Amino acid sequence: MIDIKLFLLLTMMLLVLAIIASFIRMLKGPRLWDRILMLNLISAKVVLIIAIYAIYMDSLTLLDIAISYGIIGFLTMTLLSKFIMTGGREK
Amino acid sequence: MNVVALIILILSWFFIIFGMISIFSLKNMYARILSATTIDTVASFLVLFALMFISSGFQLIVRFLILIIFLLITNPISSHVNIRSAYLSGIPIKDEEVQL
Repeated sequence: MIDIKLFLLLTMMLLVLAIIASFIRMLKGPRLWDRILMLNLISAKVVLIIAIYAIYMDSLTLLDIAISYGIIGFLTMTLLSKFIMTGGREK
Repeated sequence: MNVVALIILILSWFFIIFGMISIFSLKNMYARILSATTIDTVASFLVLFALMFISSGFQLIVRFLILIIFLLITNPISSHVNIRSAYLSGIPIKDEEVQL
């Protein structure tokens, strides 16, 4: 039977490569919204890595960490976009 | 049950690779945001669905369902907020002079 853990490891390595590519794009992005977009992509991929690692280690608490990390990434994204849209002023 | 999860997991690799290509190859900013977020949502949905097939036990499956529903709701919303912030700040939709 094929071992499923090898494929989980390969998926995690591919996600790390995707995070590195997003980080390179974030460093050379011409505008500010590109950088915010890359922040969103990196946070979504980190959630995936934590979820795969929870299955890989058979641990239940890592999934709770993944859920809370997703909430933090979403709040960072929306609040930063709104802050930039209003130019730092309260409306 | 293992083979189904493995097929879905291999299918998700292509979406991750397409997302990495689409970040670097598109010139327009709005097209980049749209394609990157859409492909990323599909890839994360496929990976979590494959993990739900592997996992055994009620507790794990409930948490995976919560994660899938949360990602399916909030990922398009954050993309929409980003594009709205860019459009209201005065970025034109067709721009040709911005180089990578």
